[in-house]
Amino acid sequence: MNTASRRFLAPLIVLGVLGVVGTIGAVALPDVRVSQVRRTPRRQVQALLDAGRYDDAERMAREGGAALLATLGDVHRARGRLAAADSAYRAAAVPANPGRRVAEIGIAELLWRRGARDSAWKRADDMAAAYERDPSRWTSDDRTSAARAYLLLGADAKWVRSALATFDDAVAADSSNIDAMVRIGDLFLDKYNAPDARESYNAVLRRAPNNARALLGIARVLDFQDSANVGEAAQRALNANPAYADAFLFFARGHLEAESYDSATTYARKALNVDSTSVSAWAILGAGAWIRGDSNAFRAAKASAERLNAQPSEFYAELADAAVRNRRYADAVQLARQAVSLDTSSVRALAVLGTNLMRTGDINGGRSALERAFALDPYNIWQKNTLDLLDEMAKFRTIDRGRFRFVAPAAEAELIVTYLSPLLEEAFDTLSKRYAYTPPTPVRIELFRRHADFSVRTVGLAGLGALGVSFGTTLAMDAPSAREPGTFNYGSTSWHELAHTFTLGKSEHRVPRWFSEGLSVFEERRARAGWGANVSVDFLAAYKGGQVRKVSELNDGFVRPRYPQELGFSYITASLVCEMIYADRGASAFAAMLIGYRDGFDTPNVVRRVYGESMDAFDKRFDDWFRKRYASPLAVIEPGDGRGEPSGKFILEVLSARALLQTGRLDSARAALLRAQEMFPDYGGADGPAWYIAQIEADRGNLRGAIDQAMRITTRNETALEANDFEAQLRERLGDFAGAAAALERMLWIAPNDPATHARLADAATRAGDHTRAVRERRAIIAMGPADLLEARYQLARALAASGDVAAARREVLAIIERAPSFEKAQTLLLELRGRAPRSAPR
Amino acid sequence: MRRLRAALGAVMCVWLAPYGSIAAQQTHVLIATGLGGEPQYSAAFMKAALALQETAKTKWSVAPASLIYLAEDPTKNPQINGKSTREEFTKAFLALAQRAAPGDLVLVFLLGHGSGEGSESRVNFPGPDPTAADFKAWVAGFAKQTVVFVNASSASGDFVKELAGTNRIIVTATRTALERNESVFANHFVQGFVSGEGDADKDGRTTVREAFDYAKREVAKAYESANKLLTEHAAISDTTLAAMVGFGGEAPSTDPRVISLIAERRDLEDQLNALKARKDAMDATEYERELERIATAIAEKTALIRAARGGK
Repeated sequence: MNTASRRFLAPLIVLGVLGVVGTIGAVALPDVRVSQVRRTPRRQVQALLDAGRYDDAERMAREGGAALLATLGDVHRARGRLAAADSAYRAAAVPANPGRRVAEIGIAELLWRRGARDSAWKRADDMAAAYERDPSRWTSDDRTSAARAYLLLGADAKWVRSALATFDDAVAADSSNIDAMVRIGDLFLDKYNAPDARESYNAVLRRAPNNARALLGIARVLDFQDSANVGEAAQRALNANPAYADAFLFFARGHLEAESYDSATTYARKALNVDSTSVSAWAILGAGAWIRGDSNAFRAAKASAERLNAQPSEFYAELADAAVRNRRYADAVQLARQAVSLDTSSVRALAVLGTNLMRTGDINGGRSALERAFALDPYNIWQKNTLDLLDEMAKFRTIDRGRFRFVAPAAEAELIVTYLSPLLEEAFDTLSKRYAYTPPTPVRIELFRRHADFSVRTVGLAGLGALGVSFGTTLAMDAPSAREPGTFNYGSTSWHELAHTFTLGKSEHRVPRWFSEGLSVFEERRARAGWGANVSVDFLAAYKGGQVRKVSELNDGFVRPRYPQELGFSYITASLVCEMIYADRGASAFAAMLIGYRDGFDTPNVVRRVYGESMDAFDKRFDDWFRKRYASPLAVIEPGDGRGEPSGKFILEVLSARALLQTGRLDSARAALLRAQEMFPDYGGADGPAWYIAQIEADRGNLRGAIDQAMRITTRNETALEANDFEAQLRERLGDFAGAAAALERMLWIAPNDPATHARLADAATRAGDHTRAVRERRAIIAMGPADLLEARYQLARALAASGDVAAARREVLAIIERAPSFEKAQTLLLELRGRAPRSAPR
Repeated sequence: MRRLRAALGAVMCVWLAPYGSIAAQQTHVLIATGLGGEPQYSAAFMKAALALQETAKTKWSVAPASLIYLAEDPTKNPQINGKSTREEFTKAFLALAQRAAPGDLVLVFLLGHGSGEGSESRVNFPGPDPTAADFKAWVAGFAKQTVVFVNASSASGDFVKELAGTNRIIVTATRTALERNESVFANHFVQGFVSGEGDADKDGRTTVREAFDYAKREVAKAYESANKLLTEHAAISDTTLAAMVGFGGEAPSTDPRVISLIAERRDLEDQLNALKARKDAMDATEYERELERIATAIAEKTALIRAARGGK
């Protein structure tokens, strides 16, 4: 909480018991604690408005006569009767009227809504100037009006500070001024200060527990913070005011984001039923129509917005936002450009434009728009973070190789590209064939060594849980160094993100999130054994417990997860749906579905086209398929709630085996582990039966048996660093250097920054006769900036010589001696090479 | 302190006596680790110290009597010669002073948690901590030897200005006494010698400058890879001397043929340096051809030297 806000709390407590006397009529007031204090007629009307009792509010305002004309204007405005509101305000805006300043700011805000920015600004400026000349006789409501005037003047820090201080003064003058208190919360949230916003809303709720505006404010704070229970919080606001247009809009946006266009439309219409002049509601209707490709509905919504404001920048900004939420970044750019052309000072439109220009690869254009937005709104932490990151990225290295443009921290760019370039070329070829689609190139891939930077690049803030993101032909992801070794496979992640490039492109960015993610995980699995999220005990327990969503609701599992693990479970479910489709209909079904989405069909219709059945039937089909496929482990895992520790026979067997191991009873432990393994043969966790059995077998000298068990993990778990290391060691002991090299190669996708692994792989590859790989590994070590560069170059020279590339070996060894004439090993190698023909290795 | 000065005074008299002119330079090493405070620090200090001790023994051929390791708890390892108390330091310096001949090389390596400033800078050892002033007094007697004094402890920076002097190289893990965070310099500095990775020119001998540069570079990399701000900046007193003073390498030969071959190789190395100086002005192909000719000649000369020494 900042100083300005803190200041008002003390007087609030004192003034709270000094409520102003005054009631009108026989209207039962809303059951809120603030009603215990006798309130002014205006406060009573405001309380009725906040409770959604618009008729009662209007009647009471009318009964108040001239003194409540401005308040009547507020009531009309809340109901979307802008002409009536304007009339009431203008009638009230006369010197003798006590509500004249409320009326004046009301007029100014209506002018603003209609697009008459200059007139609105002039009125706001006059009011702010008058307040600054002599605020002494301004009532609490007058001060609230002055604060609103400051906000009309702009987002500049000085106006925001003045507005906040004046709202504070308003509350200090009248602690029952709930409207000012809510506006303080709104202002904090608009300026990205969620903690202070929350505190402000809570202050309101302590006085008026059912205040719908404050309850919605809390929901917005939760949404801002990506917290759970956003929906429940918003529903509380609707319960408090069942005709609350802003709450309907909040739900509408949520549904739009969840790609539930029908629900979004329904809520937008509910908002319009209350306030038909809500440009936001028309924009959401328009967005839903635009996304569905319903041009008639879109034109109608646009015409309605234009009737309210001849230059409805907000309409296009809302559309642009909706386009972003639906991953249509190029469209978002066009829409945001349109919004900016209608209002060059629209921070929202400029921010959307800048962010999405960057997402579509136009970094300079993005920076320019973001700088303009930040100049207009210096509180915007997203823009600041992104601009700071762009400064940092200026030091990154860009490497163009093949069909890709890699942008990575200079220190590790070369190493990353050594591995990613061939992998992604392979992925590009594979996916092009599978989806019969070729994306435009180069595909830009950015890698960040700090996860927070990746997060800022993606959403403008730190804290994003994802490993990578695809904006189409621009990918961003954590560099391997951003994560603890053993927690992240950057090969599978890059393959996953590139798969999005194809599914987004093929569907013209209309594929729903669940299907795009499902295909990406499925493609990971097809790329390499063990890649991609796999079915875990937790997942099975949650599935059995009914905590995993049906296919028809799967998108919500991505957009609005109900518990922390649900997002991860949704990835697994989506990938399994794809696996089932592949088994049932083959890969061509994927392309057909993507084309269906491209053509504007929703999931039920796409399913109907491919399967010829309803969504309910498809839900059942998947459930049956899943329960059959995982019948064995499902039988030994108890239903879970998705949150707690799983239980069941499988877990008990593993725990029992561990206890036996600790007491040295290896035979009994092994038997228990084998029983557990039989229950869940596909379990690939690094803490499961296979790991322990592998250790037992290795201790007993049964290296082959140990390898078999290790492979149960390494072929099912993409981050099994330790198990791969173990398998490599076993294979090295057996002289199986090709096998060891394969295990070490897998390790490099998990932890590529350990020079020792590269050296081991180079050695194993050499012993296996794979000199090309050995040379690559020696080059990789050099790219890592080794502590002993000359020794590393000497090893490269040897590898080159072994590969038959004598010319390159000689060049390398001469370069070494040039720097270190006394390096005896290099001298010896030079003499060895002297007798060999200077030919290059076959390419 | 008065007793120590008296003892060192006696040693000085011994050093002033004439020595034979061809006596090979000997190396004397005193390693001391301080109080760890926590087991992991005690273990880390000892690990670094033992590695350095082993290298001194096996790679630098330091005589057992010239290799002393003092630690907080001598019972932890049989390689530890005594407890790192002020009294044991006195004895150790006295013992080395008695063995060291003019022209010899003396390495003092301290590792622990540092504190204090200026002449009161210290490393936390068991009992009263010896200060920078104490060490200054102890090394004062090695006027005819080259002293490499390494304080690889945190907050060690002020040792440079307190101990710097003629024929002395002072190395500290930090630039000032105010850099008090845990330091990783020691591990890398020791590693530079132990692994040979510090031997930048690959001549088989690691100079103090090479080890220092290596450690400084690796410390920076370690901080960078951990995404941490660098909070330690190693310092060195005399980089010119440090580039000449080194450890390891083959002992000088007295065989005239080997001496002659080495001189010829040195001549070739000079030719190589001259070639490198002309590189920018030369045609690339011509440069490479000449480089290969000289490099091959150097390699052949080395092979002859090795054969003359009886090697393969």
